[in-house]
Amino acid sequence: MAKPVEPEPTDDRSEASIMGLPDAGDMLDTSTFEQILEMDDDEEEREFSKSIVFDFFTQADNTFSKMDSNIAKKDLAQLSALGHFLKGSSATLGLTKVKDSCEKIQHFGAGKDETGTHDLSDEVCLEKLKVTVEQAKQEFKDVEKVLKKFYHDES
Amino acid sequence: MDANQGGSGASSSDFVRKLYKMLEAPADDTVVRWGNEGDSFVVLENEKFTKHILPKHFKHSNFASFVRQLNKYDFHKVRHNNEENGTSPYGTGAWEFKHPDFKANNKDAIDNIRRKAPAPRKINQTNEDVMIPTAQMDLVNTQLVATQQQLQSITERYNELSIHHSMLLQEVIGLQKTLVNHEHVLSNVMNFLHTVDAQRRRDSRAAPFPPPTQNGNTVDTQNPQVTPLEDDVPASPLQNASKLLSETNADAMLNPRNLEHMNEITMRMNGTLTTPPPELMRRPVSRGNAPGSASSSNTMRISDLDNIVYPVGQTHGIDPMYSEHIHNIPYPMPSKPVEAVDAKLQPTEGGRKKSTQVDPGWIRQPQILLVEDDPTCRRIGGKFLYAFNCAIDNALDGLEAVNKMNAGAKYDLVLMDIIMPNLDGVSACHLIRQFDSTPIIAMTSNIRSDDISMYFQHGMNDVLPKPFTKEGLLHMLEKHLAHLKKPLHQMDGMVPPQLLASTRQSLKDDESPAKSPATTSNWNSPNQIPGVSPVGSNVTDEYMNAVQGHPATYGVNPMVSNIGYNTSPQMPMAQRQGPHRRQISDIAGGEDMNNPAKRQQMYAPPLQPQPMNPMQRPR
Repeated sequence: MAKPVEPEPTDDRSEASIMGLPDAGDMLDTSTFEQILEMDDDEEEREFSKSIVFDFFTQADNTFSKMDSNIAKKDLAQLSALGHFLKGSSATLGLTKVKDSCEKIQHFGAGKDETGTHDLSDEVCLEKLKVTVEQAKQEFKDVEKVLKKFYHDES
Repeated sequence: MDANQGGSGASSSDFVRKLYKMLEAPADDTVVRWGNEGDSFVVLENEKFTKHILPKHFKHSNFASFVRQLNKYDFHKVRHNNEENGTSPYGTGAWEFKHPDFKANNKDAIDNIRRKAPAPRKINQTNEDVMIPTAQMDLVNTQLVATQQQLQSITERYNELSIHHSMLLQEVIGLQKTLVNHEHVLSNVMNFLHTVDAQRRRDSRAAPFPPPTQNGNTVDTQNPQVTPLEDDVPASPLQNASKLLSETNADAMLNPRNLEHMNEITMRMNGTLTTPPPELMRRPVSRGNAPGSASSSNTMRISDLDNIVYPVGQTHGIDPMYSEHIHNIPYPMPSKPVEAVDAKLQPTEGGRKKSTQVDPGWIRQPQILLVEDDPTCRRIGGKFLYAFNCAIDNALDGLEAVNKMNAGAKYDLVLMDIIMPNLDGVSACHLIRQFDSTPIIAMTSNIRSDDISMYFQHGMNDVLPKPFTKEGLLHMLEKHLAHLKKPLHQMDGMVPPQLLASTRQSLKDDESPAKSPATTSNWNSPNQIPGVSPVGSNVTDEYMNAVQGHPATYGVNPMVSNIGYNTSPQMPMAQRQGPHRRQISDIAGGEDMNNPAKRQQMYAPPLQPQPMNPMQRPR
């Protein structure tokens, strides 16, 4: 779905990044992400942002597998904590959709509805968590794909 | 007319004669000479004229006063504005003067030139106003600059003194606490002695062959009925000691609250200044190791901590990644070794980058402690701070942060994540507040109203909502590190030092609007920074809703900072209340805002030429 991205090494970096991430749409908050791109010393290598983003991928993978095991263990509190954790880093990177789902995971794990306002029973929460975690994983995969293309790393 | 002018009549033509004589000297032709028509004279080279000709003929070298003199004799400067090219035929810098009776070929006519009567002075005045400003304004300006510099040096001196003052206060407080601790030690020793004493008496009683007791009274053992009475009576030296001790109760004699309050105020004034007395720094440690001293008032406070669990789980903090930590009770203090703290402070040097590097102009590099468990946030936050030319130290959780600060590391600002493993940010902040008042800013995505009020209650100074932006972060830095910022225009002298300018942001409307912001800020601001803080139970919902509704606005709003120390919010609350309310309404958009206009004024450019008024015009 994402167009091939070829960020030309222009001097105008914001143009480059906008050009580079055209299809990220609502899965990526461009202005947040650009902030990070701006911190790159070299706009071709993008060493800094790349390492952060790729570290995040690892972190997210780990977190998702922990979520899976905690769903199996029905440990809602842990799920909430994991949701919060991933929410922080995804929000910092501007991965809007992943962040939103993580927030829901945080709430469901805390026995609340997805906005965190009303209480729900644990059973309901666990069911919702199963769905939401899967959803978050998918959203993560989508944005991961876009970002990997952006960083010319589609392995 | 002549009669009226008296003596001046004789000398009046003196000036004119000198003038005429000056023009007769052909050697000076290049500098001053008759005009082409011979009905005026021209000063061609102003500078040479002032330096060389004027002293020769008039015994002074002040061109302006020469011109004034000319004016007094009704000479007029010839203007060339009306001619097509608008420049004088004698060159651009030339000054041409004319008097109807002052002609090269009519020396006698100069006797008709008289000093003007004072009446027509007004005409002179207008001429003067046009010509004098350069010289006069220079004077005014130099005086202004001098005054401003004086002001600034006074302000600097004041700041210096207040820093010394707060250092002394810290010392005194430290000493007081040491004293109190000694007192507790003493009373423990006393208790111990009492038990030893009792023990001894019991032993002596139980001995089959009674050794002489301290009274040398062997009757005791023979009359068992008596001994129970004496059992409770300690040896008299002990009694005396206890009595003495109870009379000289340091807690009662000293009034640490006053000092602490004073200190708090100074803290707020200086932004931050941290010299925790050594005794205080050991405190959190002692709690874990020496439960025996739990009776001391100091350790009591620490144990309050047990109540301040962050309301997520019962684990006093969450560690999503390392669940094994979950079962560790975080509070017994340093289970982790404290690294050599300073080694990690990496001054950012070299490799500075172009546009992304925003140097806010620090006097010295601010030392920031970034407490964050999430590597992504930590790296990005660190990078931003680096870009703002700050030195960064990292702590991976609250525990590490407390240990670092406890070990004596000094920071200008702490950025604190809230939910972290081992020790959450709020508890960490609470602990740090026991011995240090460095501004601590909560960095979190949990910005519900009750969250925020809790952060403030435990001594946080501000909240930076996550995900933070570069601008939001920079704003925080500038707000809480205003004292580290360079004054914007030092030489100008007219601009108040930046430090004051930005602290004034929190001054609010307290200032009388009639006063010129420029002057008041110079003189008064250190006193006027109010101890406003949104701490405490009276944080209204309105405020909180506002925060939630407009996180962006919230982030930018100069919310008030520098809460010293909040273990007892009620007491300082009273004073804080007033300005605090205002603050709330500021954020909420100010329905009840008494005067948005005044507030506006606060942001008005600090430079207003008002201070000119009181200046006397020289001359």
